[in-house]
Amino acid sequence: MTPSTLVEEADLHALVDGELDPERRRKVEDHLLQHPEDAALVEGWRRQNAALRAAFEPVALEPPPLSLREAAARPPAPPAGQGPVETGAIHWGRPGAAPHPARKLDDIRAARRRQALASTLLTLVAGAAVAVAALLFLASRPPAQDPTTRAIPATSYAARAGLTYVTYALDARPVEIDAARRGELLAWLQERVGFSRAPDLTGAGLRLLGGRVAPGVAAPAAFLVYERDDGARVGLYFERADAVAAPSGQRGQGVSVIEWRAGGFAFAFVGALPPDVMQAAAEAAAAAVVAAPSEAR
Amino acid sequence: MGRTADITAGLGGATPALRRYARALCAGAGQAIADDLVQSALQSVGARIRARELRPADLAEARIEAYATLVALAEKKLANAPGPASRHPPIVHGLAGLRFDERAVLLLVSLEGFGYDAASRIVGATREVALARLMRARAALGAEGSRPVAPLEGARRAASHLRVVK
Repeated sequence: MTPSTLVEEADLHALVDGELDPERRRKVEDHLLQHPEDAALVEGWRRQNAALRAAFEPVALEPPPLSLREAAARPPAPPAGQGPVETGAIHWGRPGAAPHPARKLDDIRAARRRQALASTLLTLVAGAAVAVAALLFLASRPPAQDPTTRAIPATSYAARAGLTYVTYALDARPVEIDAARRGELLAWLQERVGFSRAPDLTGAGLRLLGGRVAPGVAAPAAFLVYERDDGARVGLYFERADAVAAPSGQRGQGVSVIEWRAGGFAFAFVGALPPDVMQAAAEAAAAAVVAAPSEAR
Repeated sequence: MGRTADITAGLGGATPALRRYARALCAGAGQAIADDLVQSALQSVGARIRARELRPADLAEARIEAYATLVALAEKKLANAPGPASRHPPIVHGLAGLRFDERAVLLLVSLEGFGYDAASRIVGATREVALARLMRARAALGAEGSRPVAPLEGARRAASHLRVVK
């Protein structure tokens, strides 16, 4: 190994934290392919990051308490020489300095009630929106829309692929077997799902992270996860099916699902990337899974 | 004047992220302590900007000042704070086991997404020192972060949320 390709631990951290320029990044990624122990470190740190975000992101989604609204625009509460007011309630500033303190107090109380009411309503509306969105997503492919195809089970492949994507792709552990153990992954999928192919989508800017066996509509399904340089993830889902049909796209919840059938299997490409990127990647995947049939079975 | 008012008003938009950071930095010591820290930090930075002691060029600078103030306040306040309870997920116990200065940098980079330069400015250390703390924190946190327990618990909370809505 020449000094220019020497990779230190700091480079591994910088890779995880997006602090490398593209050239150095490629070198470090090449290094990881040769050094699974370093790849495991990087994967572990990424999981740490995901676990931290999973544990604390809900805090950022809560509406801040009243005491924190506009805190930066208010003068600090405790006047010099007196202890800080640590009541957890609004810090009132200097109420005595106001010309009509009692009226101001009423105004502020009214404002607090309005804010509380607004935040309650907002929570209710957000909850209703989530419920409606979930229903829409689950009912996103009613069989009645396409009477020419044979009846599809209540849960369509696309809906199942979408659920699988939501369940696994954004999880701290998106895959069961990572791409470093590609052979093991493919053998497992062949055994459980009956088909195994992990299309190379680097042409579409997508790198294989790995895959897993997941519950399908009627049989065990395969779910492969790909990641773009900026961390966006998409999934390729496939399960044994009967009919053969051309790719068809649909969108819901910001996640697009492109479904097609080939060789007795239903495939669904799922992710939240722009439609043209999704289409190009799905076409690359569709071409790759039908190529070289000798490997397929 | 208008710009100063814009920046102090804009800092309000950073409140959710500051609360997230404070809660993680407190590592189970309590929600009230975390929110007090955010309030004190925001008020202090707002007051210093109005008094022209601080002249941030833009909101991003002001945000860095707010995090820096929060870290400085937290270091004092958390010296005798209680540790996490058993109901907290393993990742919180892992965080509580880290040294304060290591935890501060790790969370700035991993949770808040700051670059190394910004994170080292916030904790008032050189880039090399900040990076060394980050590396030590990740090594010490070890498998705590790899266990799927924390995200699973998060998912369970989210699921119970959804049931309530329905």
